[in-house]
Amino acid sequence: MRLWWNQPRMAELPEIDFTLEYPYTRTTGPIIGPFLTGLRDGRILGTRVGDRVVCPPVEYDPATGATIGPEHLVEVGPAGTVDAWTWVAEPTSKHPFDHPFAFAQIKLDGADTTMLHAVDAGSIEKMTTGMRVVVRYHDDGLGTITDVHFVPGDVPPAMPRPAAAGDADPEPVAITEHLIGVRIREPLQPHRRRFLQGLSVGRILGQRSPADGKIHVPSRGYDAINRVPMTEADDVEVADRGTVTSFTEITPVQYHGQTETEPYIRCSILLDGADTTIGGIDIRDIPIDEFRVGLRLQMIWNDAVGRGEVRFDDVDNRSYGLTEAVYERWEPTGEPDVDPELVKEHNF
Amino acid sequence: MARPCAVVGIGQTQYKRRRDDLSLDGLVREAALRALDDAQITFADIDAIVLGKAPDALEGVIMPELSLADALGAVGKPIHRVHTAGSVGASTAISAAVLVESGRYDTVLTVTYEKQSEGNATWALSGGKSGGQGAGGTFAPWIREYIRRSQAPEHIGWMVAVKDRRNALKNPYAHLHLEDISIETVRESPMLWDPLHFLESCPSSDGAAAMVMCAQDKVSRSPHPPAWVLGHAKRTEFSSFPGRDTVKPQAGVDCAAALYREVGITDPRRQIDVAELYVPFSWYEPMWLEGHLIAEEGEGWKMTDEGATALTGDFPVNCSGGVLSSNPIGASGMIRCLEAANQVRGTAGDYQVDGAKVALGHAYGGAAQYFAMWIVSSEQQPEFN
Amino acid sequence: MATPEDRAPEDIAIVAVAQTEAHARYDGPEVVLIMEVVNRLLAEADLERGDVGFTIAGSCDYLGGMPFAFVSNVDGMGAWPPVYESHLEMDGAWALFEAWLRLQMGDIDVAMVVGSGKSSPCNAREVFHLQADPYVVAPLGLDPDAMAGIQARALIDAGRATEADIADVVVRSRAAAMTNPNAQVAGEVSVDSLLAAPYDMAPLRAHDVSPKADGAAGVLLARRDRARELTDTPVWITGLDHRIESHHAGLRDLTDSASTRLAATGAGVAAGPIDVAELHVTHAHEEIILRDALGLDETTVVNPSGGPLAGDPVMATGLTRIIEVARRIAGGDADRGVGHAASGAALQQNLLCVMEGGG
Repeated sequence: MRLWWNQPRMAELPEIDFTLEYPYTRTTGPIIGPFLTGLRDGRILGTRVGDRVVCPPVEYDPATGATIGPEHLVEVGPAGTVDAWTWVAEPTSKHPFDHPFAFAQIKLDGADTTMLHAVDAGSIEKMTTGMRVVVRYHDDGLGTITDVHFVPGDVPPAMPRPAAAGDADPEPVAITEHLIGVRIREPLQPHRRRFLQGLSVGRILGQRSPADGKIHVPSRGYDAINRVPMTEADDVEVADRGTVTSFTEITPVQYHGQTETEPYIRCSILLDGADTTIGGIDIRDIPIDEFRVGLRLQMIWNDAVGRGEVRFDDVDNRSYGLTEAVYERWEPTGEPDVDPELVKEHNF
Repeated sequence: MARPCAVVGIGQTQYKRRRDDLSLDGLVREAALRALDDAQITFADIDAIVLGKAPDALEGVIMPELSLADALGAVGKPIHRVHTAGSVGASTAISAAVLVESGRYDTVLTVTYEKQSEGNATWALSGGKSGGQGAGGTFAPWIREYIRRSQAPEHIGWMVAVKDRRNALKNPYAHLHLEDISIETVRESPMLWDPLHFLESCPSSDGAAAMVMCAQDKVSRSPHPPAWVLGHAKRTEFSSFPGRDTVKPQAGVDCAAALYREVGITDPRRQIDVAELYVPFSWYEPMWLEGHLIAEEGEGWKMTDEGATALTGDFPVNCSGGVLSSNPIGASGMIRCLEAANQVRGTAGDYQVDGAKVALGHAYGGAAQYFAMWIVSSEQQPEFN
Repeated sequence: MATPEDRAPEDIAIVAVAQTEAHARYDGPEVVLIMEVVNRLLAEADLERGDVGFTIAGSCDYLGGMPFAFVSNVDGMGAWPPVYESHLEMDGAWALFEAWLRLQMGDIDVAMVVGSGKSSPCNAREVFHLQADPYVVAPLGLDPDAMAGIQARALIDAGRATEADIADVVVRSRAAAMTNPNAQVAGEVSVDSLLAAPYDMAPLRAHDVSPKADGAAGVLLARRDRARELTDTPVWITGLDHRIESHHAGLRDLTDSASTRLAATGAGVAAGPIDVAELHVTHAHEEIILRDALGLDETTVVNPSGGPLAGDPVMATGLTRIIEVARRIAGGDADRGVGHAASGAALQQNLLCVMEGGG
């Protein structure tokens, strides 16, 4: 479908760089709630389990699974002894400090078990097994385990307990928030790279299975039915027009990261010459009551393709969809509809 | 040969939009302790634990068998974790049955859960990106294709939505108790994914479900009647390929056929007394009646229309209220399996089907590509004729 | 040593194994890695896909940052016509556990097990701290490598190991890996040169932590009679058990592996000599703890492949340990051995698979 260009210029393709991120809200229950409330307000709680005090506290006897209620909570600390430790020379983005520090097992005074936490010791030379450490409460406690850290020494926190200092009695911690982000960085897979580069110069590439000749668009780089990988030698070009095989009108559900607000159509199209459908195609300018399975559509490439100026800002290795970076819209061709019965096996 | 296995303990949490009174530990324990209590045993009697839930990203806890080991009394024992998308609850029940049937473990605790309120399922289904179409958006075109093929009238979906929610009024654990639901309220509720209205879709729930299963020689230890696991089957197919029948997936047909063959069922509609089918969107009731060989093609919606699937019908479906009334995703499939067991144990309370002897529990997942089913009975070797 | 006559009809053997190279970064789809393993397994046993009665996989969605990633993995496993299949969000070794039990029911005679993972797109530390307690540990970002550092410190403080002992584990791993074509790192290094490297999670150094890899591994299992049809060298699984311990590190003795001891009893490790052991050692000091818990002495060859310190295809690593032992028994280099898999921080959960040859 070489439509507009004289000297095709393939787009630069960035590496995939994506963060799977969500701000989780954890309800804390009858034991963790008071424990986190304590950290926010300036006290550390453990649980009495038989003749031992366990800290951090647990909702059940770790040995038998028997339930242990909040009436067994007792205060421990604020200082304790390091049982074992490691020195984190190069903190990750998930660690509580951006400078080197220690993670340690700390046996707080009054507790019989250790708690894992961070010790801001300055240098590894300051760390020894058996050393004394003491808690430091943060001014801006949110009701999470990161409301505190530990420092070498035995001196109780100098600042007053936030709860003691505050006027109002704050609500106990019922929910603790944890923003989790996993950053994914990877190259585009080879078949995906060629597919996107093809798009950038106005060509839609599929792959012909060496096993059964079926043409996969967009290809996933393999033919699952016959369990064969596909290579560049299997690349073929297909048409930029096809038949609607399936569609949904999406009423966007709001969630973290969702930017859609208005209803729109999402459809699958069987391109002429292809044996698999391209799914996830967004349709914004054909009325829903005119949209139907069997409708013939033509892709209208955008000007960037003609000018050789396609930019792919957000790429991924997922196998569905044609990126909006190359098309303006899809337009009915005016051809008669294809009988839905003929495309019913493509309604994914 | 496979050793007989029975369900002797069942535990469910209260299902709710947000269980704000519990941690994850507390949630799974509420179900597990109730199952142990029902079986009149303790954690000390458990030989192995099988945990199931949907993706880790729903709560942001990776491999939660690790952080829930203590809460489930698993310290010093084997515990493993199943994940087969929406079908996982039933897959987990089957995995636990295999532990007993293999002859290796006498008493197994199995627990499934989801605390959907910690995260967001549509976010997870979209892979954390904008523009997610949600499960309903995936299934809607297939439902429309079912309607096109079967010529079913549009009120069938509304009827299922009303029936399951009315059943849920009899189930104290159910998340949704919609006292005033009617055909009109379903029809007038917002259209989410044509033809699915808001009230034809499952809720998002927190909850956990658990069972104790044991070998034959341990059954008498528990006071309540057992539900014998007569058979189970699982089948999987690819999510998309040319020629795939998304309306009546071959994996679903094969799964049902394998199960009926194993159990000795030749006429499922007559020989099965009650079924708990995984129906997260109303139209899946008639679709699975056909997709699992209970009704002939094009006849499933007629069973719904004639009231055959009502609590008082000849083939009651989802007497508990089903996924349409409670949906802690990872547990939803196990709830189907344990509600089937409840029916044959006679412990289904106000939604008990009188004299139920043989019951089907079912779940599906992914792009309607994972299937897991089991049949339980009050009798170890019922006669089918 | 058991003789062929000692095998019962319900005994189960490994009849084929396959693994990909431990790629530092594989740029193609994970599915193709799986496909490669599945195709090699079927070719080795001369089976069609439909001959496999039960298939089960192990993987971790989070590695690729994609909830439901395991659904696409089915593309590599083969599922048309539909198959009887399941999935654990665990190392493939636990998938083998379920397959081994499933075959004992008797109605199916061949099962396939696959473990796979592509960890190169993520920083494993930034992912796996999410295994920890979600309330009191995970928000600290306390990852398994940091937990391993704490465990190594406890071991040293208890007088059970020195930093040189830990380095020696790495020296032996690298040397052994020189004959392993799938290894990621191999070569001759000295304890002194290793000890000259800076600390990473002190007292551990970067080389004490396994290099994460992209890869897949798989096995075919069969019941006795079918196993003997499919191979001349069946490797019998004579014991398989796994156990977990508390996730509260403060409630455990980190210098021991109580769950390994329990699993060893359950799997019958001590019922005969162990010629070879492949241990899921992702941090060098763990080998010292595991040898002790398993009661291994110098007569056992430990990690002849180099072990995970020579290449760690996360989610296939434990299954690969079983494969490495099976390969040596099938090849006649060993009569009896044990494969070990671990999950969680500081060896929280451990699986042992005891295997024997003998036809």
